[in-house]
Amino acid sequence: MAGKSGRTISNVPEKSWKKTVLSWEGMLVLLIILINIFCASISPSYQLANVLREMPKYLTEVFLMLPMAYILILGEIDISVGATVCLSATMTCMVCNKDMPFIVVVLTALLVGTICGFINGMILTRFTELPPMIVTLGTQIVFRGIAEIALGSGGSISLSNTDGFRMIAGKAGMIPYILFVVLIFAVIFTLVLSKTTFGRSVYAIGSNRLAAYYSGIHVQNIRLIIYTAMGFMAGLAALFLTSVLYGANTTTGNGFELDAIAMAVFGGISTAGGKGKLQGGIISAFIIICLRIGLGQINMNPQLILIILGALLILAVLLPNIGGEVKLKKKTVSAK
Amino acid sequence: MKDNKSIWKKITGSREASLLIVLIILCVVISFRSPSFMTLKSITDMLKNNAVIMIMTLGMLGVLLLGGIDISIASTLAFSGMTVGMLLKYNIVENAFLLFLIAIGLGALCGLVVGLVIAKGKVLPIIATMGFMYIYRGLAYLIGNSQWASAENLGEFKNFALGKVLGINNVVLIMLLCYVIFFIVMKWTKIGRKVYAVGSNREAAAISGINTSNVELMVYTVMGTLAGLCGALAVAVYSSAQPNMLYGKEMDVIAACVIGGVSMTGGRGSVVGAFLGSLILAIIAKALPLVGIDSIAQNTVKGVIILVVVILNVVTQRVMDKNNLKGREM
Amino acid sequence: MKKKVLSVLLCVAMVGTLAVGCGSKDEGSDSKADAKTEDTQKDDAGDSGKKTYAIVTKAAGNPYNEKEAEGFQEVIEAEGGECIVKHPEAATADAQVSVIQSLISQGVDSIAIAANDENALQAALEEAMDAGIKVSCLDSKANADSRQTFVNQAGVTEIGQALMDAVLDITGGEGQWAILSATSQAANQNAWIDSMKEIMKDDKYSKLELVEVAYGDDEPQKSTDQTQALLSKYPDLKVICAPTTVGINAAAKVLQDEKSSVKLTGLGLPSEMAEYIGDDDAHSCPYMYLWNPIDVGRLGAYTSIALVDGTITGAAGDQFTAGDMGDYEVVEADDGGTEVILGAPFKFDPDNIGEWKDVY
Repeated sequence: MAGKSGRTISNVPEKSWKKTVLSWEGMLVLLIILINIFCASISPSYQLANVLREMPKYLTEVFLMLPMAYILILGEIDISVGATVCLSATMTCMVCNKDMPFIVVVLTALLVGTICGFINGMILTRFTELPPMIVTLGTQIVFRGIAEIALGSGGSISLSNTDGFRMIAGKAGMIPYILFVVLIFAVIFTLVLSKTTFGRSVYAIGSNRLAAYYSGIHVQNIRLIIYTAMGFMAGLAALFLTSVLYGANTTTGNGFELDAIAMAVFGGISTAGGKGKLQGGIISAFIIICLRIGLGQINMNPQLILIILGALLILAVLLPNIGGEVKLKKKTVSAK
Repeated sequence: MKDNKSIWKKITGSREASLLIVLIILCVVISFRSPSFMTLKSITDMLKNNAVIMIMTLGMLGVLLLGGIDISIASTLAFSGMTVGMLLKYNIVENAFLLFLIAIGLGALCGLVVGLVIAKGKVLPIIATMGFMYIYRGLAYLIGNSQWASAENLGEFKNFALGKVLGINNVVLIMLLCYVIFFIVMKWTKIGRKVYAVGSNREAAAISGINTSNVELMVYTVMGTLAGLCGALAVAVYSSAQPNMLYGKEMDVIAACVIGGVSMTGGRGSVVGAFLGSLILAIIAKALPLVGIDSIAQNTVKGVIILVVVILNVVTQRVMDKNNLKGREM
Repeated sequence: MKKKVLSVLLCVAMVGTLAVGCGSKDEGSDSKADAKTEDTQKDDAGDSGKKTYAIVTKAAGNPYNEKEAEGFQEVIEAEGGECIVKHPEAATADAQVSVIQSLISQGVDSIAIAANDENALQAALEEAMDAGIKVSCLDSKANADSRQTFVNQAGVTEIGQALMDAVLDITGGEGQWAILSATSQAANQNAWIDSMKEIMKDDKYSKLELVEVAYGDDEPQKSTDQTQALLSKYPDLKVICAPTTVGINAAAKVLQDEKSSVKLTGLGLPSEMAEYIGDDDAHSCPYMYLWNPIDVGRLGAYTSIALVDGTITGAAGDQFTAGDMGDYEVVEADDGGTEVILGAPFKFDPDNIGEWKDVY
């Protein structure tokens, strides 16, 4: 596992790593300012009202990024979340069309998501040898498959009663409610990760699973909780996505998992586990969203946007690595 | 690894054997439901239609053996396939052999870049290849400029997929050839052993004088090369080049490896396993429409089968480990 | 530790302030955009500003969509408007929502969209209409609530009828036939298949037996698998009808390579299918149908222009002139909305394929 080599690195100079994280977050803050100036200069429509109006659809992915960061810090991955969003959104629409009270609809979204996450967690904690990637690949196909069966031969469902969802999609002044919800959850997830024993345990498992186990951390319980939380957040994302779409279909949520991972990684969270701060992930989420909105407004070729995002992703990891390598070499030389 | 054991123990104790049993059971069940399945023609069709995935499985085997992963391969394939398609469409290059060389070269280049970023830049494989997945796919779109290359543009090139040598379809032959080469390389050459050594314990391998980052670079370059080759093959097999070709199929390739018992944490897996794994996936894809499962449920069934097979793998492994332990205690 | 939480809040605040900054700077243009839409509604003849017309296709990198956009662009520019061609990053409704949102921000005058899903664009398109943007669909519709009208390439029954007659003709009046469709959820394909099944109830078709509707998901690999499965499952099969451009291409390749006696018809792009169309046994497809995507785009453009300048409102009974394409009337559609029908599907046979394969 990549963790093997990662372990030694994280063990070496604790301080220099902290420094890079701090400076990385500093750089991200700088970057978000630059991106905003850049977007505003290239597109005359890049204004607060427009950005806030376009934002809700992208913000649904931030819900996924938060628990995904935990999973990445564990050194694992969950690629079934897009499918979970799809299944949850489908069920939500179906329940809503049965004229249920809106609170039931909301609960359905959250419950379906949570169950999907729980299933992932159960398989992964019962069969610990299985790589998360392949299990979530399997459940990805299954979850989306169930949504396909539920949707039947139309493959698409619309809401017959959109009142509740119009309320969710509402705004306080210019700011959509979803932004508040995202920020609340961002704060909760950040605090839990950085302030609680639970958060510390996540880092411990990520950097050395065996050591964490022997020091009395309930590794499997924590994994189960995190995967279930991932499902819950996917349900929440599905709820808000439905309020943006007023419907669901078999491609809903396609590729969300990769977007969420990209946001986290760009924010300095390592997929090898044990490293990274959620703050970085949150800032980088907004960087990516702003960039997409800005470039979208100048009608850039969508494939070119993807190329830019891909290149940014690689550079974001490559540059500090090259810098860090030089520093590391100097240190090891002086240590010798 | 376990060399000097009796043949019987070898058979019962190996992961490949349990896969073979799964394979045979699948075949028996399917041919019971649909007699036309076990004909030579049907099997050739299946191999031809899945050759691309099966060849890339080999490259992925190498990558996974090192504990890495490569999700950019379907994009590399599309990039090289589109390049071939466009070269043919605008009559720039028409020689099939030359086109294959271009595709392979382009793939190797793509793989080399990925490898450099991972091996020399120390970027984690999943991140690096995720970035390149977007980049190469984007390039495939850009080079296509909203055009497809269709059968009519492909001239003689498309006949490659129809031709036969020694009674075996060209595409299938290339696939089998790749497997034979890989089997020999991975089992009996220094390079193959190096890959296993680095995969099972990187530090130990480095100390024993293996340049681990070069091995890593090589593995990703090989992966890219195979993906490039598959780009040209896919264009020949389907007589059409589209920028979204094999979109998302990298997951099928990874699934084929894992079903074949290749460990995602590195060091464990074999060419035979990869072959059986990709064969099982190919059979599932071929059989689902044949046995008359409602098309709307086919994806769910496929997902469940993948999950069941990998879980079964773990369970048999556990039993095997227990037996091994018993043997040691005695 | 507190510092870090603080830094997060700070960042968020910064995004906010920055955005406010940009917002206030550009307030002028915002009100301009408002004024523009007002102008549109009043149809002020004195408005000298160029109108902006946007087309949103189903996906990038597809020559069919490209031709549609080309036709659209050609007409808009000839009429003196400004044209924006937008491709979503993936062939999903999700991706189209972002595109629509972006177009609303840019304050375009009209959006013509080929919807990837009937329902999931409703919220975004309603928002666009609320902002004064004229919304029409072309090629593939969004539901009645999310559009003003729909440019239909050909009536559903006309396509069903044409395909059924082709099957009847090619089978020689009796025998087994199968359908190879796109995904089991594709709205257009499902409508056509339903219509074919309806037409098949007529006595004329009583000797035809539809054995299966297979789905190739518009993937060459899966379509190939499905075609081969059809051939081995039904040895007496006479005709496969594939009402999808990817499916027909994959099926044609399989049939021709295997020199099968099974024949093919359906809906396909001439440039993709040229290799397979012919009367003799060496070709797998005697003839097939499609409409001209360039004309779909052009009619879409004229419809957008008519909507923006107020000639039509999208209500049934409205009439407008589409340049040299002639006069068209908005009629009631099956789903409660309205539509403009381009015409009957066009037949491609060995005689005319040569000239069309270079066009699209």
